[in-house]
Amino acid sequence: MPFGQLLIEGLAMGACYGLFGLAVVIIYRTSEVINFAAGTMAVFSTYIAFHMITFYGHPFWLAFLFALIFAALLGMFVEFFFLRPAKNPTLLGLIVITIGVQLLFGGLVCWKWTADQQAFTIPFSYQVIYEPLPGVFMSQWAVAVFVIAAVIVTLLFFFFKYTKLGTAMRATQQNKHAAKIVGIKTDRIFAFSWAFSSVIGVTSAMLISSRTILDPEFMMEPFLRAFAAAVLGGLMSVPGVLLGGGIMGLIENFFGYAMPAWKPITAFVVIVLVLCVRPSGLFAKHYVKKV
Amino acid sequence: MNVKKVLMVLLVPLLVLVFSTVDGAAQKQRGFDDKEIRVGQWGPQSGPAAAWGAVARGSELLFDMVNEEGGIHGRQIKYFIRDDQYNPSQTMAGVRDLVDRQDVFAFVGGVGTACGLAVQNYLRQNKIIWIGVCTGARDFQNNPWLWQMWPDYFDEGAILTKHAVENMGFKKIAYLYQNDDWGADAMDGVKAVLKKNNLELLDAIPVEPTERDLSSQVSRLQATGAEAVIGIMAPTQAAIALRTAVSLGFKPQWLHSYNLCDFGMMSHITDGLWAKEGVMTAAFTPPIDADTPLMNKYREAAARLAPDERWGIFYLAGVVVAEPLVWALKEVGPNLSREAVRDALNSVTNRQGVGPVLTWTEDNHMPPRKLQVWQCGPNMETIVVQDWIENDLPRP
Repeated sequence: MPFGQLLIEGLAMGACYGLFGLAVVIIYRTSEVINFAAGTMAVFSTYIAFHMITFYGHPFWLAFLFALIFAALLGMFVEFFFLRPAKNPTLLGLIVITIGVQLLFGGLVCWKWTADQQAFTIPFSYQVIYEPLPGVFMSQWAVAVFVIAAVIVTLLFFFFKYTKLGTAMRATQQNKHAAKIVGIKTDRIFAFSWAFSSVIGVTSAMLISSRTILDPEFMMEPFLRAFAAAVLGGLMSVPGVLLGGGIMGLIENFFGYAMPAWKPITAFVVIVLVLCVRPSGLFAKHYVKKV
Repeated sequence: MNVKKVLMVLLVPLLVLVFSTVDGAAQKQRGFDDKEIRVGQWGPQSGPAAAWGAVARGSELLFDMVNEEGGIHGRQIKYFIRDDQYNPSQTMAGVRDLVDRQDVFAFVGGVGTACGLAVQNYLRQNKIIWIGVCTGARDFQNNPWLWQMWPDYFDEGAILTKHAVENMGFKKIAYLYQNDDWGADAMDGVKAVLKKNNLELLDAIPVEPTERDLSSQVSRLQATGAEAVIGIMAPTQAAIALRTAVSLGFKPQWLHSYNLCDFGMMSHITDGLWAKEGVMTAAFTPPIDADTPLMNKYREAAARLAPDERWGIFYLAGVVVAEPLVWALKEVGPNLSREAVRDALNSVTNRQGVGPVLTWTEDNHMPPRKLQVWQCGPNMETIVVQDWIENDLPRP
């Protein structure tokens, strides 16, 4: 078994799942809504970058920056026009709205860019490979994934711990009404969470797309794994989600190597087993129910 | 009024209605009149397999050409396309609409094994002529109203392996396949040829059509030390497998299904790796850039009648499946009937348009067993590395 190879590949894909899981968690932390449109929103923003590079010939970094801005605006747009108008919504109602948004954006992407597969290229190529140990290969893409994931998680840690906005987001999650009483504009916090989540989502989607393929459904499967990673990590914990992603990637890669036919379900079986023992995830400190 | 009388009152009109309907249907020649012959096809014009929707539009090119030349024995071909989004339930809805409401005479093509299976019994019961279902699965045998053109996947697996072993001299062969009937049928062909050459298959590794991370599968292929990998899977998974292999420093000779012989598209979605790595595929048409009178005629007509279409292999495949229907309709003459067209198709012998050489009889509607092997050249051009070759191993 090529242990080193499987470890690197598993961790790299796991880091992508973990990053995308963060997009799910950031919204869940503030509003307890699972955003089922996260995958399609990331696809939409990735196509914006693709369009700028392919049709207008802009350099990647400009397209990347524009896609981040677009993703932020898209996140705020969804929160403002789809979730906020819902009167006395239940959690289930909000989740159904996100499923509707997913269908809407999926249709839009298909209409504008068709369902044809495309190649999306980033400056960190999977074709440039290094050999850190004899027989163990590591692509430039994998190095970039590790660095980007580490930077984002570090920034998020400091953001939630030490900034006023991060503290306000945590306060809103813990008690929306109390947060309002102390002067936090919770509506703005919700909009910001959606923008923030959307930006991290598109970053992860671009990394995944550059290694796999770009089509309107390319985030369907990664979204499920990212969601599973978030559940495994406890849905509230930022480092927990990334660790959950890493575990997902490793389980998939090692079991996929040993038993390829069982690969698609192995990770989910493990998650069900883990949740049977720890219902609130591996890294949640305790289960809190809002009243 | 007692129960008996009530039953009689309800039953008699019902029986009259039923018998009059049967009588009417028997007398009616469905699917054509003096001015037109109605033909249909389903295909994914949107959704995940939209790239294969070009097949249905390719058939339209041939019918437009026929109509432009005055039709067939004074009748124009009226052609219907139904977008099923590669979803069998939508295929059924579209086909029922075409048969029951539009009254079509025949179907050509039809992308997808599951989509075809969904409507096979319905078309058979209605005795609708159906030519060239776009799949090589074995589930479509023994239908007297279906004539097959897409090569059997068993033959495809066998011919790709034969080329790798006997022409290229590879001894270490592995197999990466879509985990369904398509992959299983072709695996039988791969194993049959290896057995004939006293070789063992190093490994057979499945992939699911929805999977986007194939690193564990490719790592396992790499660990086998395979010199050549036979691949039977959809374009997305084939592209991801190739990209992953390159990122792991694994560079075997890839040999893929004829469904992936659109080199322009495959090179595009693999950042040019399809051409750089010289990937090979099976093929059952001449190359799209072939310089033959018939191919040139179609290419020029496409530029004129369908200027927005890309002249690709799937578009050409639409012409391929429509050709036999046009031959048969011309041969039958003005006295058109379903039985006459059936008999004309049953007597097609060694005939070739821009597809494979066809021979059908009353008892044999199977697809041809000959295929070519192509290689994607450095500039995405088609290099024919193995001319038409027949698989002579018995089908399982």
